[in-house]
Amino acid sequence: MTDAPRPIADAVRQRLARRHRAEGRFRMFGVGAIVLAIAFLAVLIGSIIAQSTGAFTTYTLTLPITIEREVADPRGDMSEASLRRGSYNQLIQRALQAELPAASSRTELRDLFSLYSGLNAAPVMRRVVADPSLIGQEISVSMPVNHEIDLYLKGITVREDRQPGEGAITMDADGDEVRLTGEMPVFARFVSRIRAQAEDERQEALSRAARAQAQAGMAESRDAREAALAAERRAFADAERFETIIDPETSILLGARTASLLIGVNGGVISVSAVSPDGRTAQGSVLLPLESDAASSDWTEWVIETPPAARRVGDLQAIYARTLEERGLIDQRFNTRLFLNADSREPELAGVMGAFIGSILTMLVTMLLAVPIGVGTAIYLEEFAPKTRLTGFIEVNINNLAAVPSIVFGLLGLAVFINAFGLPRSAPLVGGMVLALMTLPTVIISSRAALRAVPPSIREAALGVGASKTQAVFQHVLPLAMPGILTGSIIGLAQALGETAPLLMIGMVAFVADAPSLGLAGLTQPSTVMPVQVFLWSGASERAFEMRTAAAILVLLTLMILFNAVAIYLRRRFERRW
Amino acid sequence: MQLSLFTALALLVLTATGFLAGRTRALAIGAREEGRLHSLPNYHGYFVALWTGLPAFALLALYAVTGTMVVNTLALGELSRASEPLQQRYEAILATDEDHRAATASVERLEAEIRMLRAEADAIIASEGPHSEALAPLRARQEERLFDQDDARFVITSREAAIAGIVLEAADADVADARARAGFEYRRLPPEQRELFVADARALAFADTLASRDTPELRAAAEAFVPRQQALAWGVSLAALALAAGGLAFGRSRVTRQFRARNRVEWMVSAALMLASAIAILTTLGIVLSLLFESLRFFASIDWRVQDFLFGTQWSPQTAIRPGQIGQSGSFGAVPLFAGTGLIMLIAMLVAAPVGLFAAIYLSEYADSRFRAWAKPVLEILAGVPTVVYGFFALLTVGPLLRDFALFLGYEDAVTQSALAAGLVMGVMIIPFVSSLSDDVINAVPQSLRDGAYAMGATKSETIRHVVFPAALPGIVGALLLAISRAIGETMIVVMAAGQAANLTANPLESVTTITVQIVMLLTGDQEFNSPKTLSAFALGLVLFVLTLILNIIALRVVQRYREKYD
Amino acid sequence: MAEDANVKAGTVYHPAEGNRKVKVAASGVDVFYADKQALHDVSVEIGDRAVTAFIGPSGCGKSTFLRCINRMNDTIDTARVSGSIRIDGEEINDRSVDPVLLRARVGMVFQKPNPFPKSIFDNVAYGPRIHGLAVSKDELDSIVETSLKKAGLWDEVADRLDQPGNSLSGGQQQRLVIARAIAVNPEVILMDEPCSALDPIATARIEELIDELRENYCLIIVTHSMAQAARVSQMTAFFHLGHLVEFGPTEEIFTNPRDRRTQDYITGRFG
Ligand SMILES: Nc1ncnc2c1ncn2[C@@H]1O[C@H](COP(=O)(O)OP(=O)(O)OP(=O)(O)O)[C@@H](O)[C@H]1O
Ligand SMILES: [Mg+2]
Repeated sequence: MTDAPRPIADAVRQRLARRHRAEGRFRMFGVGAIVLAIAFLAVLIGSIIAQSTGAFTTYTLTLPITIEREVADPRGDMSEASLRRGSYNQLIQRALQAELPAASSRTELRDLFSLYSGLNAAPVMRRVVADPSLIGQEISVSMPVNHEIDLYLKGITVREDRQPGEGAITMDADGDEVRLTGEMPVFARFVSRIRAQAEDERQEALSRAARAQAQAGMAESRDAREAALAAERRAFADAERFETIIDPETSILLGARTASLLIGVNGGVISVSAVSPDGRTAQGSVLLPLESDAASSDWTEWVIETPPAARRVGDLQAIYARTLEERGLIDQRFNTRLFLNADSREPELAGVMGAFIGSILTMLVTMLLAVPIGVGTAIYLEEFAPKTRLTGFIEVNINNLAAVPSIVFGLLGLAVFINAFGLPRSAPLVGGMVLALMTLPTVIISSRAALRAVPPSIREAALGVGASKTQAVFQHVLPLAMPGILTGSIIGLAQALGETAPLLMIGMVAFVADAPSLGLAGLTQPSTVMPVQVFLWSGASERAFEMRTAAAILVLLTLMILFNAVAIYLRRRFERRW
Repeated sequence: MQLSLFTALALLVLTATGFLAGRTRALAIGAREEGRLHSLPNYHGYFVALWTGLPAFALLALYAVTGTMVVNTLALGELSRASEPLQQRYEAILATDEDHRAATASVERLEAEIRMLRAEADAIIASEGPHSEALAPLRARQEERLFDQDDARFVITSREAAIAGIVLEAADADVADARARAGFEYRRLPPEQRELFVADARALAFADTLASRDTPELRAAAEAFVPRQQALAWGVSLAALALAAGGLAFGRSRVTRQFRARNRVEWMVSAALMLASAIAILTTLGIVLSLLFESLRFFASIDWRVQDFLFGTQWSPQTAIRPGQIGQSGSFGAVPLFAGTGLIMLIAMLVAAPVGLFAAIYLSEYADSRFRAWAKPVLEILAGVPTVVYGFFALLTVGPLLRDFALFLGYEDAVTQSALAAGLVMGVMIIPFVSSLSDDVINAVPQSLRDGAYAMGATKSETIRHVVFPAALPGIVGALLLAISRAIGETMIVVMAAGQAANLTANPLESVTTITVQIVMLLTGDQEFNSPKTLSAFALGLVLFVLTLILNIIALRVVQRYREKYD
Repeated sequence: MAEDANVKAGTVYHPAEGNRKVKVAASGVDVFYADKQALHDVSVEIGDRAVTAFIGPSGCGKSTFLRCINRMNDTIDTARVSGSIRIDGEEINDRSVDPVLLRARVGMVFQKPNPFPKSIFDNVAYGPRIHGLAVSKDELDSIVETSLKKAGLWDEVADRLDQPGNSLSGGQQQRLVIARAIAVNPEVILMDEPCSALDPIATARIEELIDELRENYCLIIVTHSMAQAARVSQMTAFFHLGHLVEFGPTEEIFTNPRDRRTQDYITGRFG
């Protein structure tokens, strides 16, 4: 018996390599998808952590403040009403002025007092009202510096460079004007730096002009062409301005669109307005008075590279802030206000506490409504309800409700709870009710799954020993299903905790400067919740709010992780296989 | 609040007492009389407790929900009575005021003229369509009338204010008159400010929050609130306690040997459960009715030009202020919103469908259990991140990145808030949704089909592509439909990252707006509840609801069918 | 060369039909599912162009052994196979052997018919397509036709080849998957209880088919029906608790079993 030739093996082998390559490619797509998803998550979390870092510390101004009687107690009777009318901000201002007596003109004082927000007077007032014996005493008051100053001191918004100067300089004062002369080209380093910067800017302006020209050529309408030509002219004008700085013959004038040069010498600071092209002499004005006019070789070249027009912190403010920092009155601390304060218009005073309490109240309402009703529904449908058309309809209905967009629940809340029932807007009570309706399907579906997982033998055993249906369900089935029900409920609540859209509909987007009280009364007070706070802050224009938003997100995520961890723990701890 | 808390505690104690009373009595009867009790003593206890607690707590709950409203009504009624003399004097002066009368008359006349112009315009639209040239002069004339009407209305309000000032001036500043002045002031407030008045008065009365103002009138009003609030609170508390005591006595009297306490209690339990499941239906009903009702009001306010809403291409609700304006419904053309929603959904699905599907395939077919054990929770984290966080990410990270990239590629008009940024991030958000649903579906494909393919010498990917995927296709389609419905209804990402401009465009680098964004825009900030602008949000909500409902029903059907096939 | 040696050395003696070439030779095969051993030291030589039946009580490892022959156990994460299995003298448990290629040579039919969610035509054409066995559409058509004819299904489905495979009856589906298996012209066909889901008439048709296929293929069939084993097989192997207890010509096993356990099983004392 001989074999007929078997050609399949060879035929198959021919294509095998190609098929395995296809297999590899397909597998790579799968790996790629997972990697992509995980990378997204990593980038998301990473970018938020990176954005939040600046928010966890804050530069804090600490001043010894004397509570002067006539300012704190205008009526002079030490009554609470009188103490509340006291002008505590004036006390802070006096203390600050005492630290920097050099600030005397109107503009100087304005810059000095803008280092902090007047809202910081309120805590001082509360301290005095709580303890009137402080009057006449000196107390130490800490307050966060203005957010722009904070960002400047952290080096986030402003580029600056402080280096010891080389070589001696002499100063010839003429009123506030000072002429600085170096024994050698002491400002040469600055001159070359600012020229390089100007050269970059000029190139940039020229390329902008070229782009505008190209656009003008391609413009479809007359208006568009006009606009492009105007842009071109502006760009050329810019370029020209920078040329005067680059020109090695003319002296360099410093202004709103160039870097600033400050000279710290003899305990004072001079702001330079013009530098000779050779870098040997400079013209400036005194911003912080010098102790003497003596020539000195111990001076600081302080360059603020970000031009004044592009920053929110003036030279004078920078000088005051740095001076106070050097004296140890301003230092960087952990930002407790971010966690303990309610919202505020001033970023440095804003915190998540109000939203946090709002979230707690809202979640309480949601939980008290959604869990009993959801579990009750699940028990009814799973254990009691006859399988009729009606119960079938309820089932379909619940499944659909689970997929209804959350914002629709918000519309329901607005139309029914607020407009029809007349419940208050912005209140945790209504928010909790809306979120409860939204969470209900999740709770019902997971509770039903948990009940279904309890084997029928348990019910039969209970019924077999003469228990009624209700007893069998409540005494035997429900306890066994409890872990599953709890897990599902917690996951539903975690979802509700992160929900924003429906709450916007019922007015929980209001700015709320006071945390609602943690009690029954708080349920109807205007408040907001964590995710809405994130939304509100993310829309604020201040840069400082941006990092606080990221920090608030981290707090929110921590809460969510906590919720989910509890759910996972419960699932692991009580997981039972039948 | 304090009082009702105390009452609630007292009721709890009473309820517990009721339980004990029922139980003890049942035990006593059991010991004294022949034969077994029908129900266990505990059930008698529950029965009495229910009679004790249920009605009383129901009353308390009713008070909690309506108490504020009742007190407000009573107090405001009192204020209004007190202000009656002022009101009469005011009306008397008003009736003799020439300017006011003239202005009122002209408002009415203009009203009639505007109505006629509308009728004319409608006739033209009916015969020549909405773009007829002949409408322009009508529109201009109507504009003019509306303008005059505004002027006349201004005269009316300013006259009224002046007269009110005179009346108030005349009233004395003593306390009784302060109450009258408060009532007078309240009556003259426009509806949206009345709420604030009441809130401030209550704040002054009960000192639970800070009032935004503090005037003698408000103080006087506050004094009208306090006694009524107290009377009601005490009344309700006493009534609740009396109800509880009565219930206890009644319940206890029912306890006898044959009394079927267990059946009664169980009946109540199942009634409560049934009520609970009715909530789900009520919710749906509430959604449908409220959306429908408000939408009908909206459509009425644009003269039932539903087609203009559904097919119009011009969306600028902010400019359509006055009801009854000719051609005004044109600014409620929702097509740009539908297009924007569709565009973003498309981008999101282009990300989520392939990535989610491949992730599901890899996890269910390739990955070993150890990898699955940590990769799945990671994907779930992606699903658990609140959408507002995605919105922030889209707004501050992805948006600027895409804009810079587009600028780098030479696209000059790139903006931060673009359909692409919102769509991409939304896609990421939906990935875990697609992957977990598809994972379920793929796992439901019976192993025997895979075995059949492997036994033919198919490679793993061939098995997946040729056998598993086609078998799972209906389920996967269902999953994708659910994902689409999710994308359409998603709000925060688009609110933060897609922009508000109602552009009708297919360019993903432009700003677009969506149904959900517009709902949020229309309903946040200050709003007059009855303006077409506000009502249009409900019409959009109705569209959204119907759209997602249809998608969900189809998807659930498809998945259901599919499950049945392989179960 | 090696093959020639095997042809001479590896033969199986059958009293009625004489010597037969050994197609599948297993020696010392152990299979573990996780920590549980499902097969203990199984050694057997199975002849070509004959039907070999595996019998034994449920859970004794018949399917497990069958799945070793085309390395289907690879698809189970927990399964570990050791020992040697040779087809035509070639070790298949070797790393270098591609299971895809192996499975093209060793077809398999399962207990429950599992047509793919495709048309009847595509089901049968599936193997030739993925392996690239047909150059043209005509060739594919003719492969499908011959396979369906061999499986005795052609007359019933010739006019509805484009209908889905699972629109057929259970017996037809089972013949369809047999047609699918033979469409790639494998050398060995494994059948795991192919008739257990079928009525007696459909069973009879499949048995007829198996008898016809014997002409060209090495067939191994797992069955719980003693009668079926007696009807269709030439050789029979009896498994018990993971051990191969007895292997020999079918008549011998049924009329004159050497092992006590075999006797108990075929006389129905346990099962
Ligand atoms: N995938 C698997 N994972 C773990 N154990 C398995 C697996 N498949 C089979 N087993 C175990 O291996 C042993 C042999 O199973 P096998 O399926 O080979 O039995 P069988 O003889 O085919 O039985 P039957 O006649 O019922 O089909 C059994 O004890 C079974 O529990
Ligand atoms: Mg088996």
